[in-house]
Amino acid sequence: MNTKIYTIITFLIFSLSVSAQVDRTKMPVSGPAPKINLGTPKKFKLKNGLQILVVENHKLPRVSVTLNIDNPPMAQGEKSGVESFVGGMLGTGSTTISKEAFDKEVDFLGANISFGSENAFASSLSRYFPRVLELMADAAFNPVFDQKEFDKLKKQTIEAIKSNGKSVAAIAGQVNRALSYGKEHPYGEMTTEKTVKNVTLEDVKNLYNKTFKPNNAYLVVIGDVNYKDVKKQVKKLFSKWEKGNLIPQKLPLVKNPTTTEINFINVSNAVQSEVSVVNTVTLKRDDKDYYATLLANQILGGGSTGRLFKNLREDKGYTYGAYSRIGASRYASRFTASASVRNRVTDSAVVETMKEINKIRYQKVTQVELDIAKAKYLGNFVKAIERPSTIANYALNILINDLPKDYYENYLANINAVTLEDVQNAAIKHFKADNARIIITGKGIDVLNNLEKTDYVIKYFDKEGNPTEKPEMTLPIPNGMTAANVIDQYIEAIGGRENVMNVKTVMMVANATIQGTPIVLTNKKAAPNKTSQIISVMGNTMSKTVFDGESGYQEARGQKMKMQAEQIKEAKSAIGPIADITYKNGKLDRIEPIDGKNYYVIIYDKTEIFYDIKTGLKTKEIKTAKGPNGNVEIPTTFEDYKMISGVSFPFKIGQKMGPMDIEFVVQEIKINEGVTEEDFK
Amino acid sequence: MKKSILLIASVFMFSFSTNAQKVEFEEYDLDNGMHVILHQDNSAPVITVEVMYEVGSKDEEDGKTGMAHFYEHLLSTGTKNIPRGKWSEIQSARGGSGNASTSWDRTNYYQSYPSNELKLALWMESERLLHPIIDQKAVDTQNEVVKEEKRQRMDNAPYGKIQYGMVYKHLFDKHNYGRSLIGFIEDLDNAKLDEFKAFYDKWYMPNNAVLVVAGDFEKEETKSLIKDYFEPIPSRTLPNRVQISEPERLEQKRVKEYDANIQLPMIVLMHKTPSMRERDAKVLDVISTILSDGKSSRLQKKMVEDKKKALGVFSFGRPLMDYSVYTIGAIPLGENSLDDLITEMDEEIVKLQTTLISDEDLQKVRNKFENRFVSSNSNIQGIASSLASNYMLMGDTNRINTELELVMSITKEEIREAAKKYLAKNRRVVIDYLPESQKK
Repeated sequence: MNTKIYTIITFLIFSLSVSAQVDRTKMPVSGPAPKINLGTPKKFKLKNGLQILVVENHKLPRVSVTLNIDNPPMAQGEKSGVESFVGGMLGTGSTTISKEAFDKEVDFLGANISFGSENAFASSLSRYFPRVLELMADAAFNPVFDQKEFDKLKKQTIEAIKSNGKSVAAIAGQVNRALSYGKEHPYGEMTTEKTVKNVTLEDVKNLYNKTFKPNNAYLVVIGDVNYKDVKKQVKKLFSKWEKGNLIPQKLPLVKNPTTTEINFINVSNAVQSEVSVVNTVTLKRDDKDYYATLLANQILGGGSTGRLFKNLREDKGYTYGAYSRIGASRYASRFTASASVRNRVTDSAVVETMKEINKIRYQKVTQVELDIAKAKYLGNFVKAIERPSTIANYALNILINDLPKDYYENYLANINAVTLEDVQNAAIKHFKADNARIIITGKGIDVLNNLEKTDYVIKYFDKEGNPTEKPEMTLPIPNGMTAANVIDQYIEAIGGRENVMNVKTVMMVANATIQGTPIVLTNKKAAPNKTSQIISVMGNTMSKTVFDGESGYQEARGQKMKMQAEQIKEAKSAIGPIADITYKNGKLDRIEPIDGKNYYVIIYDKTEIFYDIKTGLKTKEIKTAKGPNGNVEIPTTFEDYKMISGVSFPFKIGQKMGPMDIEFVVQEIKINEGVTEEDFK
Repeated sequence: MKKSILLIASVFMFSFSTNAQKVEFEEYDLDNGMHVILHQDNSAPVITVEVMYEVGSKDEEDGKTGMAHFYEHLLSTGTKNIPRGKWSEIQSARGGSGNASTSWDRTNYYQSYPSNELKLALWMESERLLHPIIDQKAVDTQNEVVKEEKRQRMDNAPYGKIQYGMVYKHLFDKHNYGRSLIGFIEDLDNAKLDEFKAFYDKWYMPNNAVLVVAGDFEKEETKSLIKDYFEPIPSRTLPNRVQISEPERLEQKRVKEYDANIQLPMIVLMHKTPSMRERDAKVLDVISTILSDGKSSRLQKKMVEDKKKALGVFSFGRPLMDYSVYTIGAIPLGENSLDDLITEMDEEIVKLQTTLISDEDLQKVRNKFENRFVSSNSNIQGIASSLASNYMLMGDTNRINTELELVMSITKEEIREAAKKYLAKNRRVVIDYLPESQKK
C-alpha cells in the first residue's frame, strides 16, 4: 500500500520535472553564436601569369586541384560548340602517353581527371596526388588532337544533342538563354547539330592555341598536401606553359523587351510547362545594392521560404517547386523566376508569378521576412566553412572580381546592414516586371487558349530560338473517323441504339434563375420533329414556341409570330426527339483539346457540337446566330448525365446569352408519357 | 614509367588500413526503444540531426500506395507547436536547411544548422514525430504537389522510368519492390484522411526510428537534450512485417517500355540480386566498377571508346533490404541496334563468368573503393545519413568502418562466382526502352 503511494508521488515529480525541462510549446532559443574562423589560402604566382592558391587540410587523405582560365566569354558563331571539343579532346592522349594508357592509369589510381574548354579538374587520394597532377599537366599542355578521336567525339556530341531533343527541361534551358541574352552573345549562343557539324579538328587546335593560356589562369589545390611540396611540383610542371596574346572581345549588348511579353516554345510531348520570367541585369559583386538584391531574391524565391514556393507550391499545388535566382557577373547575368507546372495551370502560374514579382516591387517586405532571409545567408555562410573549398573559392572570387581583400570578412556585416527600403529598391531595379520575357516551353494545344486570355503579347519560337508561327491547335482526325461514327458512339454512351430508338416523346421541366427571377422551362418533343417550348415565370407563360411538323409559331408578350420558311426548314430537319441523330449528316471538323480533355467537334449547319472522346458524351454546342452587331456565338453546355428509362440525359444545361450565364437544372424528364398532340397546337 | 607506378601502388596497399579514416560514433537506445547514434566532430561549427524511420513504399498495402512518400511531404509542413507552413520558415530563420527522402525501405528526415541550433533541431524533429498536422487541407495540397513531383521527375524527364525504378514491375511479380515508389496517382486520389492517419499510427513511432546527431556538439549536454525531447514520446507495438519472397526467374523475359521524352533508345538488363546485407551485394558493386566505372572499364572501353557502338553504358546495383536490383544498360550510337549492344554486353558478362580478373584489375577496384570511401565521409550530413542507413538497413552501424575492409577481402573467385550466379541470362529481364514515337 505504502509503496504504491510512493510510486505515484515519484511519478508525479518525475513528470513535473520533465515538463519543467522541456516546454514543447515554446521554440528553443539559439545558443551563443559559434566562432567563425575564415582561413586564407597560401598563394604564389608564376612568371607566365598563373596564380596558385593552396589550402592545406589534413582531415581526409585526399587532394583536389582545379585549373581555371578566366578569359572573357567568346562567341563561336556558326561553329558554336567548338569550345566543348577543346575540353573533350584534352586527356585523349598526349605526346608522352597514349589515351589508352592514360585512361588505364587514372582509373587504376582511383582518381578523376577531367577537362573543360578553359578548365581542368583532378582529385585523388593524397598518396597518388603527385602523379595525378603530373598526368593532368601533361594532358593539358601536350595534347595530340587525334583525328579519329575527334570524329568519335563529334559523333557522340551530335547524338547527345539529338538525345536531348525531346527533353522539355533541356529545350527550355537552351532557348531561355538564347532569347534572354540574344543568339549573338556567347551566353545565348546555341549549339546545334548544324553548328557542331561545322567544327573541324583544325578549329579545335586553333581555339586551344588561342585561349588555353596562363595569362588569366588560377590553379587551386585543396587538401592533404604540404605547401612546399606543391609549390615545387607546380613550378616544375607549369612554368613552361607559355603566355599568349589574348584578343579583347567585344560583347554584343543584351536587351530586355520594351514591354513584357510571352515567348512560347511548342513541345508536343510536354506534360508540364517550364515557365520562366526572365530579364537580364547589370549586377556585380561589389555593387552597393548587391546584398540587398540577394536578400530581395531570397525573399521572393529562395528555397522553401520564398514567396513563390509558398504561393505556387504550398498554397496552390501547381508545382513541385517555384524559385527565383539572380546572377552577378562582370559580363552579363539574369534574373529568373521559374517553375515546372502542369499544363492546365500554366496561365495561372504566369499570373501568380508576375503577381509576386510585382508585389515585392510595389510593397516593402516585412521585417520578419528580411530577418529570415538574413539568417539564411548567415547559416549558409557558417555551414560553408565545413568545406575546405570555401576558403579557396572566396580567395579566388576576390582575385577574379577584383574585390577588396576584406570582402568576405565584411560579408555578413553587409548582409546585416540591408534595410527594407534597400530591398524594395533592389527589387524595382533588378526584377524588371515591365520589361521581362515570360518564356514558356510546353504543349501549345493544351495551354495556349488560356495563355491568350492573359494581357501579354505572345511570340512563338522554335526549339532553336528562331521566330515561328503559332502551333496547330487541333489534333489530326484518325483515318476513317466520321461524324456518323461520333454520333454512333454518343448513342452507345447514352444507352444504346435500341433504347434511344424507343424514345418517341420526351418531356422535360427545368428551373433556372435570370437576374434573380426564377423561371421554369417546359420542353416537349415528339417523333419525328414536333417541338414545344414554354418559358413561364410564377406560373405565367412568358413565351411559347411550337412546331407541329408542318408549321409553327412563336408567342411572347401576347404577340404571335408565324415561323418563316427558313425556320420551318430547320425545324423539319430534326430526326426524332434526340436531335443528335441529325448531326450524322454534319461534318467531323477536328479534335480539339480543352482543359486536358480531347473532343470531337462536328459542324452541322451553323452549330458546332463537342463530344468528349473518352466518355462519348456531348458536352457543348455552339450556335452562331445573327445579332444586331454581326454574328454572335451562343454556347450551350451539357453536364450531369442521368439515366431515365435506359437513356441518359444531361441534368445541367448552361447557356450563355451575351453577358448572361443561365444554368438550367432539370427537375423532371419523362419518356413516352406526358406529351399529347395538344401540346403542338 | 607505368610499371613503377604499379609497384608503388602495391606497396601502398599494405599501409592502407592505417591510413583509412575511422568514423567514431557512440550508440544507445532510449527507454522508448528509439535508437540514438552520436558522431562528434568539432572541426567546423555545423551540426546535422537526422531521423530515419523504417518504413518505405514496400510497406504499403495494395490499393493504398504512395503513403510512405506522401508522409515525406506531410511531415514537413507543421506540427501542433509549429504552425502550418512555418516549418521551413523557422528552419531558415535559424540559418538551417533540411530535406527528406523516401525509398522502398525507409524514409529519412534531416536538418543541418550552425552548431548553436542543436536544441532547435532536436525540438523540431521530436515535434515531427509526436505532433504532426495530418488534416484534409494538408492532404489536398500535398496531393497536388506530389503529382507535380511525379510529372517533373518521371513523366517529363528523359529515361525517368529507369532512374526511379518504375520498370521494376517487370522484375518483381510478387514483391512490393515492383510497385511505383511514389505510388499510383489513383490510389492517392482515393485515399481517405483516416487511411493516411492509420499509416502514420502504424509506422511512425520511436521504436521504429534511429536518431543521428553529428557534428560540433558536447556529448553530455546533447544526450540530456535527446532524453528530454525524445524519451517522453511513447513507444507502440511494431506491426509485423510480411516477408514476400520473389521466386527465382527461370527464363529470360523481354519487354518493351516507351518514353515520350527520349529520342535515343536504351537497352536495359535487369537482375534480381541479394539483399544489401549480403556479401554478394558488395561483390556485385565490385563487378559494376569493373564493367563501367571509368574510361578503362570493360564496357566503356569496348563499346564507347574502341568500337564506338554506344553513346554511353552504365551498370549499378540498387541496394535494397529484401533484394537488390542490378542494372546494366547502354544507349546505342548511330545505327547500332539494341541486339547488337546486348551481344557486346553479354560477351563481357561471359568473360567475367569464365575468366578470373587480373591482379591489376583487382587492385584498380580497391583503389577506386578506397577513394570513394574517403570522399563519402567528407561532410557531416553525409556521415549522419550513412550511420543511419548502416544501422537501420545494414543492421550494423559499424559497417561504415568495416565496409572497405570487406571490399578489400573480396577475391577474384568470388567475383567470377557472383557473375555466374546472378548475371545468368535466364535470371534477367531485358527491357527495350524506346521512344514513344516507335509505339505501334
